[in-house]
Amino acid sequence: MTLRLRLYVADDAPNSLTAIANLRAALAQRPAGPVELEIIDVVDDPARGLRDGILVTPMLVRLAPVPERRILGNLRDRALLLEVLGAPDGTA
Amino acid sequence: MVGMVGRETLRSATGIPGFDEIADGGLPTGGVTVVLGGAGTGKTTFGMQILSHSALEGTPGILVAFEESGERILANVAGFAWAKAALGKVVVLDAQLSHAIEHGGEFDLMGLLAMVGATAAKHGARCIVFDGLDVLLGYLGDAVVVRREAFRLRDWVHASGLTAIVTAKAGAPDPRIGADYDFLQFLADCVVTLHHRVIQGTALRFLRIAKYRGAPHSSNELPFAITPMGIEVAANTTIDLTYPTSNARVGTGIDRLDSMLSGGYYQGSSVLITGAPGTAKTSIAAAFAEAAAGRGERTLYVSFDEAPDQIVRNVASIGIQLAPHVASGMLSLVSLRGHAESPEAQVARIRAHLQLLRPRNLVIDPLSALSQPGDEANRESAARQVLDLAKTAGITIVNTSLVGNALPLAEHTLLNVSTIADTWMHVSYVSHGGERNRALTIFKARGTGHSNQVRELVLSDRGVTLADVYVVEGEVLMGTLRWEKENEARRTRIAHHNGAVLREQRAELALAQTRAQQDTLSRAQAIQEAELAQLRADATIEVDRRAVEADELLLRRRADLPDAVE
Repeated sequence: MTLRLRLYVADDAPNSLTAIANLRAALAQRPAGPVELEIIDVVDDPARGLRDGILVTPMLVRLAPVPERRILGNLRDRALLLEVLGAPDGTA
Repeated sequence: MVGMVGRETLRSATGIPGFDEIADGGLPTGGVTVVLGGAGTGKTTFGMQILSHSALEGTPGILVAFEESGERILANVAGFAWAKAALGKVVVLDAQLSHAIEHGGEFDLMGLLAMVGATAAKHGARCIVFDGLDVLLGYLGDAVVVRREAFRLRDWVHASGLTAIVTAKAGAPDPRIGADYDFLQFLADCVVTLHHRVIQGTALRFLRIAKYRGAPHSSNELPFAITPMGIEVAANTTIDLTYPTSNARVGTGIDRLDSMLSGGYYQGSSVLITGAPGTAKTSIAAAFAEAAAGRGERTLYVSFDEAPDQIVRNVASIGIQLAPHVASGMLSLVSLRGHAESPEAQVARIRAHLQLLRPRNLVIDPLSALSQPGDEANRESAARQVLDLAKTAGITIVNTSLVGNALPLAEHTLLNVSTIADTWMHVSYVSHGGERNRALTIFKARGTGHSNQVRELVLSDRGVTLADVYVVEGEVLMGTLRWEKENEARRTRIAHHNGAVLREQRAELALAQTRAQQDTLSRAQAIQEAELAQLRADATIEVDRRAVEADELLLRRRADLPDAVE
């Protein structure tokens, strides 16, 4: 099953940069599998964030598998992040 | 802070009645105004009213909602007079963090501000409200980070040129950040605090401009109200509305008092009712309040140290029904604490209620509560100020004042108010015949032909009435003695009445007797006349008979007949 993710960030805001780094590290940590990741910069495209109803950044949205989950913040909480991405043991 | 100087000279009018006057024209244009207050103090209404004003002026505003959904906020303010025309022009950004959102580390406001800025640019907004910012900041979970983000927002506002209003709950510490949001005051260009207090069952709202960087402003705590027009701040030191002066009379609620005063109190005049404790001063004042509210005149009744429901209950026992008028809104009962506050603060409160309620009539029961012992300098001025306020606004004001039962003319406790009162009535106890009764005297009624007579004030379950008093050998009779005197008078009247009836009956009898006698005589006369006629007739027959007999005798004695004698 494809893991579909969206990460809303704000340009070069430190928390946003940290969130991107934490997400990439976590993805590297979990077993290989199909991943779709879209990173949306709301400073660059504010209309997108407004349209999606995401006003606070950084925000990770897991669109699939359902149910949708949202994690606010720089994703420093690795355990939570791995759980949302699907644990290293392959459970989603 | 650099570059702020020029901007601070500009003001953005809020459109909140009374607020712009105390804020030297409005909120700082391009600055951050922080509105702090507890739950339900009107923070959101304050912000929405400003946004609506901006929208009606042709400039759309933006609402960023952190605590409640925008939809809910709009629904909450939909009842205000300005809502219909304005709310459609307010751009709403929902920024609540729902419970479904999980927290995975630190975040910041950079993305939010980027999107808000884009929205403002798109709509040409000049004004923005961040409603419930404390809710969002609370998720940051660290007092240092909270401050950093708050300052980020402030700097962003200054850079954007938008006039921003940030509302937040103040006072109570937020356990999530281990601090409260009072620090917002330090970053703000202007700070408005809102709070409400329940004073003896009456909820009073107060607003204060705690800070206004570089601007003269009133920092006094001012009462405000939330009315169908939204927030209205009682900012004026005078009351602008003025009822036209007139020579009209307004009923006192006591019929015979109206008569004594040639029709009632003058509209817009001041009335002072003095008396010892328990002399029914409150009853006279309440009778007026009932009558005034019953005529459809808004009336404010200010009492001291007596709760509104207590007054309603007390006067209901003598047939004065205030409750229906309280329910209809025509009568507002406000209770102030006599000793809790300075006379100036009490005058300010009364003024605020007058401004907000705009009543036609004011009752202060008692005005003497404004004169606390120990502030000789203020006591007279406080009472005077209230009278002046009412007078300039054309409000009819009825005051009670507590004095001893000694001759009030000799008392200085009247604050010299009696000299400026237009009508002055005094109720005293009169002891006589083992009773204490209430005597009402009108000492003064400016411009009115009034009765100088003393009346007895009688309280019953049918209200307040006045009764005549009897003066016997220089003594005023009241109570039982009056009742006895009245009975005596009644007996005399009945006796007089009964005597007249008897005399009439006697006269009728005499007349009847005379008529009967007349009738008897007439009948007797008729009989006598008849008898007389009979007698005469009989006499004629007898003469004829005798003549015949004489003829026959002659005839028998002489053979020849004389010449006819017949």
